[in-house]
Amino acid sequence: MSLIPRAAPAASMAFAGRDPAVISLLKMLPLLLLLTFSSAAAPPAAASPSAVHNNNWAVLVCTSRFWFNYRHMANTLSLYRTVKRLGIPDERIILMLADDMACNPRNNYPAQVFNNENHQLNLYGDNVEVDYRGYEVTVENFLRVLTGRHESAVPRSKRLLSDEGSHILLYMTGHGGDEFLKFQDNEELQSHDLADAVKQMKEKHRFKELLIMVDTCQAATLFSQLQSPGVLAIGSSMKGENSYSHHLDSDIGVSVVDRFTFHTLAFFEKLNMYSNASLNSLFNSYDPSMLLSTAYYRMDLYKRALNEVPVTNFFGSVMKTIHTDSAYTGFLAAHDAELPLSVGNNILDHVMLQNEASARRSNIEEMNEAQLMSHGWTEVLLEQLEGKNSDVVVMYGLGTMGILLAISTWLSM
Amino acid sequence: MEPSAKVDTQPKPRLIVRLGIFLASHHILFSALCCSAGIIALLFLPSLAKNTYLSENALIPGSANPLFSSEDVTEANKFIKGIEAAAGESRGGMEMSKFIVQQMKDLGAEVCYHEFLPHSKHFHPLKFFTSMTNDLAVRPNGTYSNSGTNTIGIIRAPRGDGKEAIVLVTPYNPQRVQANEVLSLALGFSVFSLLSRAAWLSKDIVWLSADSQFGEYTAVSAWLNQYHNPMFVGGVKHEPDGIAEKAEFTDFKRAGTMAAALIFKVGETRNYGDRDSVTMYAEASNGQMPNLDLLNVVHYLAVHRQGFRVNIETISSLLSSAWLRAIAEVIHTLGSILRKINPDWKLDITASDYVEGTANLASSIYNQALGVPTGSHGAFRDYQVDAVSLEFSPTFYIRNENAKSSFLVRGGRSVLTGLLQA
Repeated sequence: MSLIPRAAPAASMAFAGRDPAVISLLKMLPLLLLLTFSSAAAPPAAASPSAVHNNNWAVLVCTSRFWFNYRHMANTLSLYRTVKRLGIPDERIILMLADDMACNPRNNYPAQVFNNENHQLNLYGDNVEVDYRGYEVTVENFLRVLTGRHESAVPRSKRLLSDEGSHILLYMTGHGGDEFLKFQDNEELQSHDLADAVKQMKEKHRFKELLIMVDTCQAATLFSQLQSPGVLAIGSSMKGENSYSHHLDSDIGVSVVDRFTFHTLAFFEKLNMYSNASLNSLFNSYDPSMLLSTAYYRMDLYKRALNEVPVTNFFGSVMKTIHTDSAYTGFLAAHDAELPLSVGNNILDHVMLQNEASARRSNIEEMNEAQLMSHGWTEVLLEQLEGKNSDVVVMYGLGTMGILLAISTWLSM
Repeated sequence: MEPSAKVDTQPKPRLIVRLGIFLASHHILFSALCCSAGIIALLFLPSLAKNTYLSENALIPGSANPLFSSEDVTEANKFIKGIEAAAGESRGGMEMSKFIVQQMKDLGAEVCYHEFLPHSKHFHPLKFFTSMTNDLAVRPNGTYSNSGTNTIGIIRAPRGDGKEAIVLVTPYNPQRVQANEVLSLALGFSVFSLLSRAAWLSKDIVWLSADSQFGEYTAVSAWLNQYHNPMFVGGVKHEPDGIAEKAEFTDFKRAGTMAAALIFKVGETRNYGDRDSVTMYAEASNGQMPNLDLLNVVHYLAVHRQGFRVNIETISSLLSSAWLRAIAEVIHTLGSILRKINPDWKLDITASDYVEGTANLASSIYNQALGVPTGSHGAFRDYQVDAVSLEFSPTFYIRNENAKSSFLVRGGRSVLTGLLQA
């Protein structure tokens, strides 16, 4: 590819002094060739912003403390449970809870957090990993998580390690107002701070697509200053409206869930990991008369049509396998047994998995080669032993040793 | 000519100086004007005052189930019988407090006695300059016959951090026990026993049965004094004759900072109509008031949840005065005129509400201006603790058993849900 432009100037020099038209034509030839190759190279360069979606992250933030804000904790924990159930693992979830309701002395059900007065589901039961708790939930830490600017001592579990192929779900709940969200009762996150953080994330290629979901009073004002492409945002109420709690649990003494989150969870309880309900159906499921507020979503920065995007693109993480033609040898066969079998419709995921599978196959082949090339002697042995039973080989070896022993004793006698 | 002209005319003084001179010269007129403007504003106040607003974000009164049931009532009835028996055989009033201590110990609470002396009649002009904060100290040579004894029980919150406490006070007079005081002690006991079994306590609960033979205020302020400014009496501890077990309870026990206090008692039977009523007293010394949210919560719970009628002290003579009624009518007509001009300007209040509101306002202003607390909650306010006194007035005859039980239930519920907000 690179030889031809170099050869063309030599050819033009050979014909120097002949026809000037031919000379000019020959001079244009390398330029033309360069142009075609650069245009051929351009699509791969332009393809890196539109990298393939290959992982999902979730950042779930509860910003309120005190016992009477129990419902914000329950909102966040319910969404945590949903997102985990639909497939995002703990290492890709950052959960920030500003207070501990489960172990609050006022809790009549110690170590349990419910989001419904029937108390059927304990949200704080097993397998809850809180990354930022209590006073660590501050505006500064939140912005550090989003932009990735941490001190060097911050552990990996507290960092958002997303890349340009990530879809990120950002869920925030608490008390909010016109263009702000209240953190911990003594500081605020303003809408322009959030927009600035998202812009930094976009420039550092920390996400491919971002879904911001906000459940506070006047939630839609929080994302009014966003300008980065690839961001979709939905808020539970518009400017001037309050968001209301769903119901009061008289056993615990406080409201246990908010209306917007309650209806979101009701939508997701009908889904499982392999559903392909679209974001459009999620957004259309919010009924203003049930929410007592208008759920407002902002899609001007998001280029894809909402009815083509499945909710599991943000809220879940679908893991599928595809059948391969030949079996994997050696110990790698065990890995295949763990992956669930399924049929997927999503072309992107299919492509992604094919890429993954081919990458793994090439890895495996390299490993096989590494094994085989190490010992020439063992290669010879393996060739010899291939067709035979190992027990038979051992018997043969023992027999040979016995014969040698007999011969040596006979010789020494 | 010109220089003398310049010397003669002085520059005019500044505007504010001229204004001051004008005011001072017509001071009588201006004083009268300001006083009457103040009085007119006061008269308008009951009609302009808005209804109390309870923030849904922070205070949700009545959102929890108080769980006060008929079993608690049977327990309270048993307590009443026990204490009446103790009152019967009492010598010097000690039997009643021993009975209360025994009941509190059975619930698993920490108990202690507190002896105090009444205020001395001497006036010490230098009291403010010396640190004689404790002129109610117990005299070490045990003449308890003329000292009062408070009994204190403390429940520790099982999962709380033990730094804050809520105080319940029930005063009674051991020298002359009356049926309504017995009822108030029973009410206090039943609330205390319910709280001893509650798993949701985050603050410690202190129950003070104050000995009000020298006055309720004296008892409570003596206890508070000892709580916040302890005085350690050195030397030999006296052994009062015949009451050996009292000695183990003389160590003063504390429960941390007080967050709020509630003084409740059952008053005499009144005939205010068909509903039991609660009278709230909030004014403390020097015109201080507690956090008015406390009053709002109690009012809300008593009225909306339990069906009590809440009264605030009034000057009853004002309630029937004719000129006040006339003013009420004037304001009512003024309100209707204003509403016609602009529907946003509201002065709507009925004449009878206005009269009652003004009577309440006048009584409150009078008590605050006088600076004398209207109950023993004033003693709490001196230590910056929000406190309010509740006097439950039943409309039944005190000896009626069934009415007593239902009354106990409702009273207990309202006290308990008030506490749950804290």
